[in-house]
Amino acid sequence: MKEGTVVQWFKKEGDMVEKGEPLVEVLSEKATYEVEAPASGVLRKILAEEGTDVPVAGTLAIITALDEELPEIEVAVAPPAVEAGKAVAVPERKVEERVERRIIASPAAKRLAGEHGIDLTQIRGSGPGGRIVEEDVRRLIEELKIMPRVREVIPLTGIRKTAAERVSLSARTAPQSTITMEVDMSNAAELRGRVNVSYTDMLVKAVAKALTEHPIINSTLEKEQIKIFANVNIGVAVATEMGLIVPVVRNANEKSLTKISSTLKGLVEKAKQSRLTKEELTGGTFTITNLGMYGVDVFTPIINPPQTAILGVGRVAEKPMVVEEQMVVRSIIQLSLTFDHRVVDGAQAAEFLQKVKQNLESPETLLA
Amino acid sequence: MRRITYRDALREALREEMLRDKTVFLLGEDVGRYWNGAFKVTKGLAEEFGDERVRDTPISESAIIGVAAGAAITGMRPIAEIMFGDLSALAMDQIANQVAKMRYMFGGQAKVPVVIRMPFGAGVNIASHHSQSLEAWFMHVPGLKIAMPSTPYDAKGLLKTAIRDDDPVMFFEHKLLYPVEGEVPEEEYTIPFGVADIKREGKDVTIVATLYMVHKALSAAEMLTKEGIDVEVVDPRTLVPLDKQAIVDSVKKTGRIAIVTENCKTAGVSAEIAAVVAEEALDYLDAPIKRVAEPDTPIPFSPPLEQFVIPNEKSIVKAVKEIVY
Amino acid sequence: MKLKKEKMIEMYRKMLEIRHFEEKAFELYGQNLVPGTLHLYAGQEAVAVGVCSNLRRDDYITSTHRGHGHCIAKGAQLERTMAEILGKKTGYCKGKGGSMHIADFSVGMLGATAVVGAGIPIASGAGLSIKLRGTDQVVACFFGEGASNQGTFHEGINMAAIWTLPVVFVCENNLYAMGTRQSRVMLIENVADRAVAYGIPGVSVDGNDVLAVCEAAREAIKRAREGKGPTLMECKTYRHKGHSRFDPATYRPKEEVEEWLKKDPVLRFKAKLVETEVLTEKEADKIEQDVIAAAEKATKFAMDSPYPEPEEALEEVYA
Repeated sequence: MKEGTVVQWFKKEGDMVEKGEPLVEVLSEKATYEVEAPASGVLRKILAEEGTDVPVAGTLAIITALDEELPEIEVAVAPPAVEAGKAVAVPERKVEERVERRIIASPAAKRLAGEHGIDLTQIRGSGPGGRIVEEDVRRLIEELKIMPRVREVIPLTGIRKTAAERVSLSARTAPQSTITMEVDMSNAAELRGRVNVSYTDMLVKAVAKALTEHPIINSTLEKEQIKIFANVNIGVAVATEMGLIVPVVRNANEKSLTKISSTLKGLVEKAKQSRLTKEELTGGTFTITNLGMYGVDVFTPIINPPQTAILGVGRVAEKPMVVEEQMVVRSIIQLSLTFDHRVVDGAQAAEFLQKVKQNLESPETLLA
Repeated sequence: MRRITYRDALREALREEMLRDKTVFLLGEDVGRYWNGAFKVTKGLAEEFGDERVRDTPISESAIIGVAAGAAITGMRPIAEIMFGDLSALAMDQIANQVAKMRYMFGGQAKVPVVIRMPFGAGVNIASHHSQSLEAWFMHVPGLKIAMPSTPYDAKGLLKTAIRDDDPVMFFEHKLLYPVEGEVPEEEYTIPFGVADIKREGKDVTIVATLYMVHKALSAAEMLTKEGIDVEVVDPRTLVPLDKQAIVDSVKKTGRIAIVTENCKTAGVSAEIAAVVAEEALDYLDAPIKRVAEPDTPIPFSPPLEQFVIPNEKSIVKAVKEIVY
Repeated sequence: MKLKKEKMIEMYRKMLEIRHFEEKAFELYGQNLVPGTLHLYAGQEAVAVGVCSNLRRDDYITSTHRGHGHCIAKGAQLERTMAEILGKKTGYCKGKGGSMHIADFSVGMLGATAVVGAGIPIASGAGLSIKLRGTDQVVACFFGEGASNQGTFHEGINMAAIWTLPVVFVCENNLYAMGTRQSRVMLIENVADRAVAYGIPGVSVDGNDVLAVCEAAREAIKRAREGKGPTLMECKTYRHKGHSRFDPATYRPKEEVEEWLKKDPVLRFKAKLVETEVLTEKEADKIEQDVIAAAEKATKFAMDSPYPEPEEALEEVYA
């Protein structure tokens, strides 16, 4: 099962629900399932109306505690359950449980799979009614012989799991396109030495300014509505020992460069100590991710859903450049902007990226 | 090798054992010189061994078995013939309560070397009282052994073993097999009980079949070969003792089993064999166990009715195809 | 009929053995030491002893659920018989048969069947075996009047008759098949009359007179041994106890019971022996004391014997 269709809601928004109570009926390729409420509380928001298709692991609704408040727009786009609100009914788990109980495989297939440590859920049975037979397992064993050997299995948990779910959701839902642009950072480098800020601080400021001028990039697509955020909250991807996390600089457009710098410094410090609060991790409207320190010039970042775009930052490199017919050495950076092509066209994205470029090449404006 | 009929093979076994052992004698309705047995198995034996050792009896099935039992525990090796297996019902107390249990309930003092020969099976339009296959009844009574030869070779070898066995042996013959010819060596041989015979080797599916159904299974196997299905046919030859190992080994090889028996499906021999496979070879099954048996009806008279209830090549082929995918 | 003095004393001793054995068994039953059920032979001793006193060790008998008396009369040991009744390893059947299935093949006791009438064709079979082997053994087949209504009675006796087999069919007519009085299930008074149907002699004797039984049996056994075929011999007798367990036998009129108790075969024979000066009272008492001691010894043996190991239940199903 890849997706299900919402057949019927048994509750309406605002209703109280009890954990375990049938909440919604979902039709899969083979059967209908009643999805039970995963938690008690208020059915705050139905995200998938009756008749709509929902991908597996997609969000159907949000259940919150009675006194729990969420920004209106946040609620509408809340991605995975773990981050939005208290609990979200997700059909996937329910279906998975059923699949595990009802794997139809012949005893011989089970024995062979057991002997070779093969997970039967990975096999599509060729027998009647999809029964997995010995031959199916044997075929997989043969295939695995020419496949690389697995040395170690790391369960997908925690941040890695969340990241996997989010990038999958992003790749599944948004048609993404990436454009790149060279930026001359020589002036920025000069400013950096002068006012003691980082390139990242400047990038956050430059992006925040550009977003105020190109608000369409600071948005989300929800069903047939593009919702433009009022806040400019810039997430900055930080690699930690635990994995990639994205602390958020709230209202970056309203913050001075130095304020951004100090805010970011605090967030990165807390990120490395795993001390970020939920508020510091949620509510981003745009994300910046930097691989420059690894020598990367250009890449194609994946949008952090439900946002519309993400900016990838490459290394700062000394490169020859022709300026006023003179060959000069300049500090060059490559910016890679991935955008949701449903929300904007390439031209709009390019205009935004151009604005970012201008802001960085005339860094004095960042001090305003 | 010499080819003789199933009937002649049985007669040879009787004759050879009567020559070999003076305590062996025959009794039953019309087994003697006037009729030679309903299926002529005992032809010529009264002339050769006399009326005392080839003894016609009154129509008294219960006493035929009771007398055989009494003779057996006092040193004789009687071979009792029940003219049609169906009539064993008349002698059921003697078979199930006396013959089968004497050795056990007397603490091993009694030796009960009785052979009870019975023609079984349907297919000759003689209706409900002369056509049944009741081996499951006897399989459920500890103390009895059960032999079911499907070929002239097995018939002779198993009957000789049965006669020499110190336990009671229910010896089931199939009426349709009497005229069937097969290779039987001139020289002396016996076939041990509890040793199945692989009547045909194959790798895709196991068919366990008994008595006449062995032949149906073999023809079905030929038909299935044309469709690329390689069938192994296992003939247990004796149901008690049952060569479980041979059945389990075959299932381990093929992963699939159809059990073909000419008796009612419910609580039939096929049910027992299916249970053995489920208990001892479950992890090797790649498809559900299939049983091809008679429906739970008496055997009807009219040819189309009778043919409908007896398993045949077509029903075997159909069953096999349902588990080979 | 002239019997030697020793023979008569031996018969008296056997009758006492049965009587006191049954008394002990009944006593143990009352103490809940006997598993299952018990069909006591007390009252019918003259039949078993009268018939078996004419048999050789190599002759055969078949017996019934009420079979302790037959065993003892044919020469089985009291010890192993009692042990079997108690389900002990030392019993004749190693505890597998119990009271209803005692057998001692070493004395020609071919076993008791608990299916009424089932022993009749088996006895005929033993007779056929004798005939085919050409020996001069005979078979005595014990059964009750109730069994004479079974098909096996007809089939088994008819076969013995047509084949002239050396079998004496001994019907112990104790008037009641469980609670059913003979007159309710048969229109004839003498089971022996049924012999006519098979063309064999039928005799009816006082089954509580051991000498009468002995004489009739001697005639029948002689005839059998000489190859002249079977006899149906009916012995009119009466069981002292109920059918089994604590059956109070209320279906039997009190007067009838009292009348039969007056005809107690053991007491009658003792009186006869004393009267004919075969034994003095004192000698008779001495014999009885010996027998009581023997019955007690047998009881002690049985009580002291171990039960079989549970796994022995799996043995001897097949040879």
